[in-house]
Amino acid sequence: MRRVEQVMGFPVSLRVDDERVPGAAVAAVFAWLHEADARFSPFRPDSEVCRLDRGETGPGEVSADLAEILALCEEYRVATGGAFDVRLPGRGLDPCAVVKGWSVQRAADLLRSAGVERFCLNAGGDVVTAGGPWRVGIRHPERADRICAVLDITDAAVATSACYERGAHILDARTGLPATGLLSVTIVAPTLTEADTTATAAFALGEEGVAWASARPGCEVFAVDSARRVLRTQRVPLAA
Amino acid sequence: MKRAIPVLVLTAVGLVPLWRYEPSTAASDDQVSAPARTVTPAPSASSSGGSGSSALVIEGSVVNTEKGHVQVEVTFEGDAISSVRMLQQPDHPQTTAAVPRLVEETLQAQSADIDTVSGATITSEGYKESLQAALDARDA
Repeated sequence: MRRVEQVMGFPVSLRVDDERVPGAAVAAVFAWLHEADARFSPFRPDSEVCRLDRGETGPGEVSADLAEILALCEEYRVATGGAFDVRLPGRGLDPCAVVKGWSVQRAADLLRSAGVERFCLNAGGDVVTAGGPWRVGIRHPERADRICAVLDITDAAVATSACYERGAHILDARTGLPATGLLSVTIVAPTLTEADTTATAAFALGEEGVAWASARPGCEVFAVDSARRVLRTQRVPLAA
Repeated sequence: MKRAIPVLVLTAVGLVPLWRYEPSTAASDDQVSAPARTVTPAPSASSSGGSGSSALVIEGSVVNTEKGHVQVEVTFEGDAISSVRMLQQPDHPQTTAAVPRLVEETLQAQSADIDTVSGATITSEGYKESLQAALDARDA
């Protein structure tokens, strides 16, 4: 089965290849993503994120989920020497870069715990798979109708960070300026939480982000720098 | 050799950041053990031999990092380091990845049979033109 729905401002497509598809689990996936959007979006004034940012919720009163998100944000801020930061000066709290991967990974976990063995969940270009191998194309950074590599992915996640869709929206928090060192960076990791956040953080770091991401445990990297060179780890699972 | 030892210590200490790649505020927690190095003059296996030069193999101190113990062995040919070998390294996944080996290639544009596409956050506008939309339509 396949289902496509607009959530969080981007299309989420779910493909399940199991013979028996638990409809309740599929419904729970999309319900959870809508819930995550309502609770953690910085663009919804009544979200938990906005209420915390306005001081209406005390730091000790945040939900366990939001505490987990904020802890991840802090972990990546420290790991990038401050290049990745969800609290930029003059801007509101914006944990989107963590929320997306984290919430889609949890959606995938709902499917797994319902016994679904073979699925591919793609949320706006970020992919979580179960079973496999799935052939995951990496979008060419300059041509929307082309790919620049194909990965064989089994029970793993793939995320790409780039500026071709929404312009230079990722800032290097060390300078406050848009990150420009890379055209795109794709991370393969055991979970989408790790893949998506590492991809965004590596993009914020720029050229040094390629080596940084490849040193993270469990991460494989396929990056295109501003000179259109591909830099990849040796073990990134390129399809034959 | 008197010159070699400071070089060794600097080398061993200099390698530590590779195992502590992740920027951290916990630097003060790391401790360098008391210098317990041994100096082992050894016949050179690799020198070309004609000049009678011999290699000097020195085991570095064991350095305790937050990832585990690090100890290197440095071989000198005269005053120059000819090789550095790990005697102990932390059993941590980051260790082997700490010095990333990257492959450089040229960017290719291709179309191929794929199940899905990974790309930067696709907006609705972008999605309409995207490969993923085509894939969704194909299987709908």
